[in-house]
Amino acid sequence: MPQPLAYVPLDAPFSPWNPGALPLLIYVGIVCGVMAVILFLSGFLTRRRPSPAKQQPYECGIVPTGPGRFRYPVPFFLVAVLFLLFDVETAYIIAYAAAWPDLGLSGYLRMAVFIVILGIGLAYAWSKGALDWDEEEGL
Amino acid sequence: MTSTADQLFRPADAVINWARKNSLWPFFFGLSCCFVEEATAWGPRYDIARFGSEVFRGSPRQADVLIVSGTMFKKIAPVALQLYEQMSDPKWVISMGSCSNSGGMYDVYSVVQGSDQILPVDVYIPGCPPRPEAVFEGLMLLQKKIDAGERPARPVLHLPGGSQGGREDFLVDGQTKARDTRGPGYAGIPIRGTAATEPRFAGSRAEVLWTPPAPGLTLSREQEVLAADLAAVFGGDATLVTGQDAPGDMPTFEVAPARIPEVLDHLKRKAPTRFERLEDLTAIDETARKAPAGREATAVYTLTSLSAATMVRLLCPLPSREAALPTATGVWSAANWYEREAAEMFGLRFDGHPDPRRLLTHRDWVGHPLRKDYEGRATNMPAFTREDCARLAPVDAAEILGERAKDGDYLLNFGPHHYATHGIIRFVMALRGERIKAMGIDIGYHHRGVEKIGERQTWHQFIPYTDRVDYLSGIANNLSYVTAVEKLAGIEVPPRAAYARVMLSELFRLSNHLMYFGTFLQDLGMMSPIFYALREREMVLDIIETITGGRLHPSWLRLGGLAADLPEGWKEQVAAFVKIFPGRLKEYHAGVTKNPIVKARTKGVGGITAAQATDRGVTGPNLRAAGVSWDRRKAMPYGAYADFDFDVPTRQNGDCYDRYLVRMDEMRESLRIIEQAAARMPEGRYLSADSRYCLPQKDAALKDIESLIHHFVNVTRGPRLPSGMAYAATEAPRGEQGYFVVSDGGCHAYRMRIRTPGFANVQALPHIIEGLSIADCVAVLASYDYILPDIDR
Repeated sequence: MPQPLAYVPLDAPFSPWNPGALPLLIYVGIVCGVMAVILFLSGFLTRRRPSPAKQQPYECGIVPTGPGRFRYPVPFFLVAVLFLLFDVETAYIIAYAAAWPDLGLSGYLRMAVFIVILGIGLAYAWSKGALDWDEEEGL
Repeated sequence: MTSTADQLFRPADAVINWARKNSLWPFFFGLSCCFVEEATAWGPRYDIARFGSEVFRGSPRQADVLIVSGTMFKKIAPVALQLYEQMSDPKWVISMGSCSNSGGMYDVYSVVQGSDQILPVDVYIPGCPPRPEAVFEGLMLLQKKIDAGERPARPVLHLPGGSQGGREDFLVDGQTKARDTRGPGYAGIPIRGTAATEPRFAGSRAEVLWTPPAPGLTLSREQEVLAADLAAVFGGDATLVTGQDAPGDMPTFEVAPARIPEVLDHLKRKAPTRFERLEDLTAIDETARKAPAGREATAVYTLTSLSAATMVRLLCPLPSREAALPTATGVWSAANWYEREAAEMFGLRFDGHPDPRRLLTHRDWVGHPLRKDYEGRATNMPAFTREDCARLAPVDAAEILGERAKDGDYLLNFGPHHYATHGIIRFVMALRGERIKAMGIDIGYHHRGVEKIGERQTWHQFIPYTDRVDYLSGIANNLSYVTAVEKLAGIEVPPRAAYARVMLSELFRLSNHLMYFGTFLQDLGMMSPIFYALREREMVLDIIETITGGRLHPSWLRLGGLAADLPEGWKEQVAAFVKIFPGRLKEYHAGVTKNPIVKARTKGVGGITAAQATDRGVTGPNLRAAGVSWDRRKAMPYGAYADFDFDVPTRQNGDCYDRYLVRMDEMRESLRIIEQAAARMPEGRYLSADSRYCLPQKDAALKDIESLIHHFVNVTRGPRLPSGMAYAATEAPRGEQGYFVVSDGGCHAYRMRIRTPGFANVQALPHIIEGLSIADCVAVLASYDYILPDIDR
């Protein structure tokens, strides 16, 4: 089997193997350029013709009642945030489980500490009432 | 001569126009019947995606074509204008259907005679309703208009000149448009044959024509017991109407106004026959009677006994049209809306009514439309303009809820224009978070004044209006109306016609329930079922089209029979459908009924008990879902229904899931009825031989002079019916639809009252929805199956 030819970059500054700052700069430049063109065009090609009706919020064709800024209880929000926490935890645990044979007891202990700390956090949130389904909270 | 600039920008114009015309995004905006055909154009077989316009947008911000599909009501016009204003530029308007084009057949006080009086219309689509193909024709015309007429490159590049978007001017009556359908120059000559059809047509030969009296009533044993009981308890304050004037459909009592709540309460709770339901409550303006009635108005209460399958009517003579009578809301809460309607339409007062506001018309409406001296025709009223839009702008949400909205509640308008309201109805919700604490309903956006129209159309001429009362159920509506008139005049229907009527009504039930199946699940978030449902619905409509020539509104029933005989080939088409459909039903069940998400969204959500449903006058599948086995086709059979073998599906919980299941089962039962009707279709006449009232069969009218004369008289002047009154209700797809026709011995009704299932059903909605979340509210609305003209008429 013939040896594969050694890779000789055409131009050292653009080598993917020896990354330098120049490609990054050019990349940033292209991104900014494209963004500027898109933002300019979408702003320039839009013909704005504001009218009182258009400035109003849309509510099924009726002029809305009352202010739009008001307190709105979202009980599922707290639950969702807590869920997100444990979602991230799952990501760590699965990564840890994949490396289980290499990490041994010390890995196990570290993971246990991680989980216990999260557990304490959950208990604290629970005791503070974060899991109570209070639909009128804050009203 | 084109300028150099024009030529310079031509390629850019062409590119922009090409892009725009092939991706027109219609606004999801439907007013009435026409929208059903517009939605069908979006479904399979027609597939509007071929034109790049399948993206029906729910918000005006994202749409650029407003298809005004349906009747432009005076109450909805300010909303339509607001929505148009909220659409982004460039935008176009297509006016779809006769109503939107010119008011169409609704020349009546509540309808704008052409949406072009307030909106700038680019393309008109004729038809009532236009077929889906016509929608495409309109769309293609608009594409052509964009391509040929617009020069958008310069406006897009901020250069002077060029043009884009549809027209921006609306029309002004008398200057840029004439509401006279004959064109300009006919001022002073009454339009649309008014002189011949208005109630007092001088010198009509019908006045001297003799007609046999309306058939009388022989009381059954139970009815005699009831009459004796009422006489014993109330003496002279509740007397049985007897003799010549006695209506032939049910026992009728004349009750003193002051004692009406007592009599109603007695009939509901203590009488030997218990009447559990307030079927209808309305009034009659007696001031235009040929023979003075000795009173100005009559309040009419119709009650139904579910336990004994019988009905009773109470008449309340009132000395004046401003007279007050005590409210019945204490006995039946369902009386609430009925009394509000009677009050606004006739000017009556109901003492003690908890909420005495106008119901169908706008708060600032002047006059009582069903009074005999009220001008019924919009063409005789000043034209509706943009100034009127400002004057009749919808009232504030806080006003609709009144005291029920508390401090800190967020008031949300759900409708009149919304995906999930299935038509123009406005729910106002007081929200705490996502929980609906109180719900108010503002109806009347779809009020087409059809009861007023019924008083000026001859008995036959009114049939097309009935189709449009529940625009998804076509012939099933015709059936309610002709049954009532036939009862009044004692017309016998030949068996072939009776069987064909049953078959067509059941086909429309299928068509309606298929639409229900699709939209119910679409509102729950399942996109696919509607495509399957529309596919099957097209098969049903094909059969209907073969037989009647029409799709949504065939207007195919006549007094005493049908418009024509069943055509060749109908049987094969029905047989093919009956063979295919059970498999499709199984497919639906497999895909939907066991779906855990559907179950989670609907099981135990929005339940109503049997007692509550009965008390509130809920009818149809919604009542049967609550466990009440009551179906007019079985309990009080009309037409040929007694001859058919079918079951009445019921469920127990009355929740969204049960309402869905009952309708699914009803489709199977309808199919059984259709199969039997097709197999046993009798031979013989398709129209009654009673030429005094009925049209002659067409072949006879073309062959002998006697029939031709009868045809001519009954079509032009219309048959003269005996004076009297009759109520007939049928089990329409959405519930019990009844017509109460009052005749003064003329060629048209003296009073045409339509008791619709939607009116009572929707009135019960706050009871079901208050306390639920918004998402559950959508599930309830979707499962409830109401339709707007059926509520507002």
